[in-house]
Amino acid sequence: MKFLCDVERCINCNGCVIACKEGNKVPVGINRRRVVAINEGRPGERSVSISCMHCADAPCIAVCPVKAIYQREDGIVLVNKDICIGCGYCFMACPFGAPQFPSGQVFGARGAMDKCTFCAGGPAETFSEKERKLYGQNRIAEGKPPLCAAMCSTKALLAGDADVVSDIYRKRAFQRGSGAGAWGWDKAYGGK
Amino acid sequence: MNKLSIALWAVCLSLGFAVAMAGGVLCQEQLLFSPGHESITAAFHQFSTLIVGNWHHYGSLFVKWQPVLFRNIFFWTIVCLPLIFLLHYLAIGPKSFSHEKGEVFYFGVFTRVIHWVAAIFFSLLVLTGLMMVFGELFGGGAFVRFARDVHIVSALIFAIDAPIMFFIWVKDMFPMPYDLKWLFMMGGYLSKAKRPVPAGRFNAGQKMWFWLSTLGGGYMAWTGYQIFSFGVETEALRLDAIIHNFLGAVLAGFFIIHLYMSLLAIKGSLRSMLTGYKPREEVEILHSRYNAD
Repeated sequence: MKFLCDVERCINCNGCVIACKEGNKVPVGINRRRVVAINEGRPGERSVSISCMHCADAPCIAVCPVKAIYQREDGIVLVNKDICIGCGYCFMACPFGAPQFPSGQVFGARGAMDKCTFCAGGPAETFSEKERKLYGQNRIAEGKPPLCAAMCSTKALLAGDADVVSDIYRKRAFQRGSGAGAWGWDKAYGGK
Repeated sequence: MNKLSIALWAVCLSLGFAVAMAGGVLCQEQLLFSPGHESITAAFHQFSTLIVGNWHHYGSLFVKWQPVLFRNIFFWTIVCLPLIFLLHYLAIGPKSFSHEKGEVFYFGVFTRVIHWVAAIFFSLLVLTGLMMVFGELFGGGAFVRFARDVHIVSALIFAIDAPIMFFIWVKDMFPMPYDLKWLFMMGGYLSKAKRPVPAGRFNAGQKMWFWLSTLGGGYMAWTGYQIFSFGVETEALRLDAIIHNFLGAVLAGFFIIHLYMSLLAIKGSLRSMLTGYKPREEVEILHSRYNAD
């Protein structure tokens, strides 16, 4: 399972961020997904929606001292909040800043790590109250795509099987062309 | 040429000039370039700089070292050192000194209190630190989280205590030429004979332990605070975690050495830190350069 953000389509609307936050009841201060923009308000402005990339060989899994992070058969990387001790090593290992930490109880020490679940819930029983409370929705079990990708207005954010997602992107890139060839009525409306 | 055509020419020229100017400005501001002209590779380069940053420096190093190296260093420290000391205890045995020649007052009440506060909380720091390093064995969760909380509280108390300890002992802890000699003969611990070894009020080993536990402990507290608070750049955080692990292993090693020396290798050593008195014979042999009176 992979996310792919088509930066030529992303319009920096932050709909994915809101959808994720609202749909999964993510606490204030925790951002499972964020939109990063370059050249804002200038030519060449682009934005990309970023969250946990569900790496095939995830560094967070490698560094976790209590083995709280694991990878499902389908490639989704999840954290077990009952095991996590909030040491923060996964945050240091992650190149994308995906792991997030709520402020805990003792001296403001970090609580268990929270990150994007690909809307696949967590290790708690599927559709249970505990799963919903700790990890959010389990839309994968319902046969639905993650909230962010489902809500994306320009369908810039694609989520799903890596082969399917990259196939869609490849077709798009081929169709819209690049450089000077990217311009014109033909490209946009297919000669109609 | 009449006046009308001249006027027309003038209008055309100024219009042309204005268009050229406007075009120049637009080009300069890149307003006339289509999005398609911007290289997508260049855009991703900017994204990468913003999002990933310098991960390839300490980030990849941390990912490489944390899963295997750090755990191994700690494992071999807490396994090898006790094994070596077991062999030493069996082959050479502890040193004991008679109290017949009288006693020397070595540690004042304040020194002893400060030492024991440091001892208790440093022990807790090593213990809970190791519990986190080997957190997998305890199954993580609430138990290791509790160890982490104890680690934080102990660090706070040690950070207050250690500077006092530093100022109490620092004047006796500067390296002396004879300390090298002490190091070469391993403090005389490799023989059963009671020959005077070159050492002042504290020997070279104690001096190393002193500097490591106070300055090294202070640096541990600093890096630990950064790891606790996440108050610095992620890049600095990664370096802090690497240093905290390496230095932690060194300190854990010296802690085990100190435990062995004080509890087992020199009989009565523990008592001297409780009562403040050392046997005169011990001072004459193990601290031969120290003028007790």
